[in-house]
Order: sequence, then structure tokens, then C-alpha cells
Amino acid sequence: MTRLLMTGASAAALIALAFGAEAQERGGTMTYGRYADSLFLDPVLNDANVDIWILSNLYDTLLLPTEDGQGVEAGLATDWSVAEDGLSVTLTMRDGIMFSDGTPITTEDVVWSLDRARNPENGIWNFLLASIASVEATDDKTVTLTLSQPDPAILPALTVFNSAILPKAAFEAAAGATDAEKAQAFSEAPIGSGPFVLESWERGSTMRLVRNEHYWATGEDGQPLPYLDGVTFEVIPDDATRILRLQSGEIDGAELIPFARVAELQNAPGIQMELFPSTRVEYITLNVRPEIEGEANPLADPLVREAMNYAANKEAIVQVVTFGVGTPQTSYMSSATPLHTGTEPLFPYDLARAQELMAQSGYPDGFSTTLLVLAGNQDEIGIGTALQQMWSQIGIDLELQQVDNATRTEEYRNGTFDMRVAAWTNDIADPGQITSYFAYSPTIDALHSGWRNEEVDQLFEASQSETDPATRAEQYARIQEIFNSTGPTIPLYETPYPVALQERVHGFVQIPLGNNIFRSAWLDQ
Amino acid sequence: MSTPEYLARRLLQLVPTLIAILVVVFALVRLLPGDPASAILGDRALDADVERINREYGFDRPIPVQFGIFVRQVLTGDLGDSTSLKVPVAQLIAERLPITMLLTLMAALISVALAVPLAFVAALCRDRLADGMIRGAFQVGLSMPVFYLGLILLTVFGARLGWFPVGGDGDGLLDLLYHLVLPAITLALSLAAVLMRNLRAAIIDVVDADYVTFARSKGLRGSLVLLRHVLRNALISTVALFGLSIGTLLGGAVVTETVFAIPGAGRLMVDSITGRDYPVVQGLTLALAVLVSLTFLLTDLLQAWLDPRIAR
Repeated sequence: MTRLLMTGASAAALIALAFGAEAQERGGTMTYGRYADSLFLDPVLNDANVDIWILSNLYDTLLLPTEDGQGVEAGLATDWSVAEDGLSVTLTMRDGIMFSDGTPITTEDVVWSLDRARNPENGIWNFLLASIASVEATDDKTVTLTLSQPDPAILPALTVFNSAILPKAAFEAAAGATDAEKAQAFSEAPIGSGPFVLESWERGSTMRLVRNEHYWATGEDGQPLPYLDGVTFEVIPDDATRILRLQSGEIDGAELIPFARVAELQNAPGIQMELFPSTRVEYITLNVRPEIEGEANPLADPLVREAMNYAANKEAIVQVVTFGVGTPQTSYMSSATPLHTGTEPLFPYDLARAQELMAQSGYPDGFSTTLLVLAGNQDEIGIGTALQQMWSQIGIDLELQQVDNATRTEEYRNGTFDMRVAAWTNDIADPGQITSYFAYSPTIDALHSGWRNEEVDQLFEASQSETDPATRAEQYARIQEIFNSTGPTIPLYETPYPVALQERVHGFVQIPLGNNIFRSAWLDQ
Repeated sequence: MSTPEYLARRLLQLVPTLIAILVVVFALVRLLPGDPASAILGDRALDADVERINREYGFDRPIPVQFGIFVRQVLTGDLGDSTSLKVPVAQLIAERLPITMLLTLMAALISVALAVPLAFVAALCRDRLADGMIRGAFQVGLSMPVFYLGLILLTVFGARLGWFPVGGDGDGLLDLLYHLVLPAITLALSLAAVLMRNLRAAIIDVVDADYVTFARSKGLRGSLVLLRHVLRNALISTVALFGLSIGTLLGGAVVTETVFAIPGAGRLMVDSITGRDYPVVQGLTLALAVLVSLTFLLTDLLQAWLDPRIAR
């Protein structure tokens, strides 16, 4: 009898599971634990990942990034086409779209929003839209962007948070004299057209979003998205506490799980340990100027850099620091970046070769140098300690200097550092952004390293207006070949985004660009 | 000198203290490497963006001019806007400081509630088993790092037993108080240990003093002697120590607030120093300085009441 009951129960559970996996359930509020709070919810004037990784839930864009972070799909615009000559883009607006306050989204709002976003005086993201010469509403459904030069990245740029469409009238009615002041007032109670609306925000603690009744997209069940009634962000800076709150069932998800805890949570009952593919790379930047503050700089010697690269055992660092979660880099850009090339890890560990290269270099007896690591950051300290030991094998005496972020940024920007640990995540599904900062010297001296390569600079400039995908791919293949073999970095590893979720959470994604997407998330009720 | 006169004199003494703090915090925050613009923009900052932000906030102006503006702002009660959060500093302080004050107050009450009775027991059972156990237990409390103790309490009483929430600040005052119990205990233990040891020693001194022996010889009941003579006299140095510890308690709140995910002033301070948010660091330091000064004043008044010779 008992056995029969048990069998019946498990059959029922199996059936529920089979159907449950298909049918999205509606309602409920998903609580998500974040490591830090947002700072400023203006899509154009914000500066930090804590903002841009959640902004798309509040503000919609003309186009949306695909879940793999590589392409674009329809957003507020349903159709888009780039002219043959690459000098204009025509977009058709979706019918019947509204802002969260119920007012219609007009082409006037689109023109105004894009003009604000591309204004060089506004924020730090306008470079993404720098190719736009003018934005015009051709009729009440069509918007035409005229470009000053062909821009292969213009469509991905229209998916980026800063090109979000805001209500012109409501923004201009906000208190304040300048754009910055109005943005400050407007973002206290923002009106957008994303799947959610900001309901309340207790800074440093809790941000509540509720569903936007006017959101345009439709779910699998034929009803409007989102499935959730709301999303609540809880700020829980301490990693251990964030995990504890997940384990005690107080929150439905927790971001930035430390790598050391991933395996444990993978085996924890009732928890889904997600590793979302990302564009994040972790690397060491080397200052390669011939002299640093008047002293000869060994890192300027390409042989030294090659030796350091071969002596750095990336596989070991991946094991020690990321507990096997990461993978060694195959190019300076992550493998999730469009036009990435390379299948083999860069500079596989080869101590004999490293020692040989050092012997041929200008510093056969080695030298002393320093590495800036973020104070208290376990990953960076782990990396530094491992490198200290690995490089001692080729005569390099490495001193770790623990500093806070602002201090490091100052030394970095002044070009007075020897080496630093660094990480990068793309904001756009295009290799142009990372390459501009890493390799193209006019932007920031190639990661403030002082590295310069004429061919790379020329190829990058050409690639920025190259409309033939094949030619552009070739240009990027060559840029990566040059930078990966002679560049000013020690590439270490790429890592996914480690997010832990309760079993009842479905449909949540963090895309490779970092955006947390709640629009298709739902909870078992 | 009468009590109102004493009070007035002490309040006047606050003025130069606060002016000194104003100067020091203004200078110190600018002596740190880095600046608000680079901290806001991070590694990807372009020179033009850094210059634009410095211009927007007036950080490109000569230091004396900046100081003048700061002083004028303080005098008019306007502490400027946060560079990272883009909201008025006064609003941030009003949101965050009360939580920290409440946490500190709860921790202070808990530590007194623990320290005073146990100090008595320990002192009166000097060098016996109870004394050893109390001192031993507090030694452990004193030597345990705050973040570790906090995590243990969270794991056991929050996640395992479910008696308390696992961090956060809840909704409304009652819920906030409930959320603050574990962090307040965490914060209280090390202070309780210090107070207990100090008070125990003081009680032992007083118990052997002539006037207590005299009081007993007059035939006063034991408990009355303890309350009126022993406790009152033994408390004098402990109250001074307690007042001085409030600053330490506020410092400990930084760590506690991080572990327990409480959006208090401690975390705000750390975040704004990391973010080189000059206006917030300046405003918050000033607010904390006023708070600590008032606490000192309060303990001085309390001491004066315990020992009227002090106010003279």
C-alpha cells in the first residue's frame, strides 16, 4: 500500500515536472541579492556596472541584444535596415507602444533621446553613438539616422542602455535648470518603457520594481510580459551573508557568488548554480614605457614580457583562484565577443622557454618590480601571490602593493604603475569597444600601458567604418594576432557570471554583457 | 559652578572642536590619492570626462575657494550633493545615520546590561569559579573578530534556527529593531567585555574602600551599600570608558553593517571614501563628530552627577 502510494506520488510529481517545465506561471515577486546598490538611474549619465546591468529592466531600447549577446533583435523598433552605402539607418517603430505612465512613445521622443545620448557633453557613453550625424523622424512611425561614416557597430549600439528611449516631455518637466539636474530629478521616479517600473528605492538597502502594465512584449502564454508582479533588489555586500540569505530562502537569487563557493552550491539541494557565459576577462596590464618616473623599465623589453607570459601558469591560476570555474584566454577579448579568434590558450606554460627568453633579454639576471592589487580582493591577491611564486623562477622579484581602487586608478591614469591586475566586460556586442581601450593607442594609450602599434591603430580605424563583414573579420583577426603576441598584457582567464537561484526560479538570464534580464523570469507558485 | 553654566561652557567648547574637524576632514579627504572623477569613472575614464566632472562639481577650483564654499554650505545647513549618488548629502545622512545610531544605542544598552550584573557577580565572587567563567567567556568575546562573530550568529540564529532574519533592515521601526538584534549583540560583545573587566576591577577597589566598610559598620543593608556606595563610585571610571567607547562602537558598526547588510552610516562612510565622494565624507564626518561630541558631553554630565566634584 505504502509502495503504491509512493509510486503514485512520484508519478504525479513527474507529470507536474514535465508540464511545469513548459508552462510559465504568473505572479509573485522575485527577490534578488546584489553585492552593491545602484548609484544613478539615468541611462545617459550613469557610469557604473551597478547601474547599467539593471537599467534595461526600466528603460527599453530600439533594439535588444540577443540572449547570447552576439546579435540584435526587435525592441521598440520592429524593423531596421542599414542603407547600401552604410551611411544611414532606417527604423520602424512598433505600433501602440507606451511609456510606463501610459503616454504614447513618439518618434519625437526617439529623436530627442538619441540626440541627448550622443551629445558629447553628456556622460561617458556618447562615443558609442559618435558616428551619428543627425537623427530625424521621417514620419510618425519612421526614424532615420544619418551617419557621418559607415559604422558596423551602429545596430549593436542601439541595444546599449545609453540609447534607451525616454519621454521627452516628462524629462523636460523635471525640476532643475541643466540636463544633469533634470536627470537627477527624473531618475528619482523614472518613466521608461522597460518591463518594470521603479516603485521605491531605499538607498543602500532595497529597490523595488513592479511590472509595467504597458510593456509591449508578449509571453509564451499569449499574455503581456513580464510574468512577475515585481522584482526586489536587496543589497547584501558580504558574500557569505548573501549566500546565507539564499540558503535560508529569504531571497530567490544571489549574484557574484565567489568562485570558492560555486562547487558547494552546485551540490546544494534546492539551488541552481548558474554560470552564465560572459565577456569578462581578467588580465595583468604592464606599463611598457621605456622609462617609468626616470628609471629604465624592464617591462619595455618584449622578450621579458614574452618570458613572463610563458612563466605564468594560467591553468594553475584558474585552479587556484577560480577553483576551475574559469578558462584560460584565447585572445585578449573574451570568446563570447563577436569576431573573436583563437582556439588555443595564449602562451601555454613553458618554464624552460621562459628562462631561455629571459637569458636572451636585456635582463638575464632578472629584476624587481611591483604589482598593484585591490586591497581585500581575494581573487586579485590570489593572482598576485601565484605570479610572485611563478615569476621568481625567472628571476623576477615581484612585490604586491595592496591599494584601494581610486589610488590604483590614479597611478594607472598617470602611467606611473609597473603592473596591475585588471578585469574587463564588454558593454556592446562588438569587438570595437574593448579594442579601442586595449589596443588602439589614441583612446587611453592602450590600457595606459604606453604600448603603440602603427598597424593596429590603422587597422582599427579602418575597421570602425568597414561595412563588409568578411573584411572586418580579417582586420580583427590581424589586430588580435599582433596584440596577443606582443601586447602589454598577461592574459589570465575568462570567467562566467556565477549566479545562484532557488529551484523555483525560471527564465532569468544574465547576458554576456552583464545585463540582468528579468522580463521572462517566473516563479513556481 | 551650577549645572547650566557647566553645560553652557561645555557646549561652547564644542565650537572650536567642530571647526578643527571641518578643516581636518576637508584636507584629509583631498590628501588621499585619486579624485572623485576617476573614482566615479573608473579605469575607463577619459581625460575629457574627468575634466568635465571636476568642472561640474567645482573640484577644478583653487582649494581655498573650495574650502570657502564648503564652510558657507555648512553654515547654511546645506552639505552639497553626493558625487556618486547624485542626491543631497543631508538627505543621505538623514536616511542612514539614524539606523547606525539605533544600532549603536542597542549595542550600548546590551553591553551595559551584560557588563554591570556580571561585573558584580565576578567581583563579589573574586577568583572563584563564577569569576573565572565570566572572565573566560568575555575573553573569547573580546578576541573574536566582529565579522566572524557576526557570521556565526547569522548562520546559527538566522539561517539554521530561523529566530532572526538573515541581515537586512526590514520594513518599519519594529521590524528594523528586530533586524538589529543580532548585529547589536555582535557589536556589543567586545564592548561588554571591556566594560565588565573595568567595572569588576573598580568594584573590587571600592568594596575594600574605607567608606564602604564604614557604611557597613553603620549597619546598612548589604544591597543598599552595593547600590548607593559601591555601584555609584565604581561606575565613575566605567562611564568615562563607556563614553570613549562610543567612537569605537561607531567604527565597529562599519563591519557589522556590511556583514548584516544594514544600510547605515558606517557603510555609507566606507563607500564614500572608496568612491572619493568628498561631499559625503565631509558631511558625514561632521555629523558623526557632532554625535560623538554630544555623547562625550552626556557622559561628562553623567559623571558629574555621579561625582559632583567633576563639574566644579
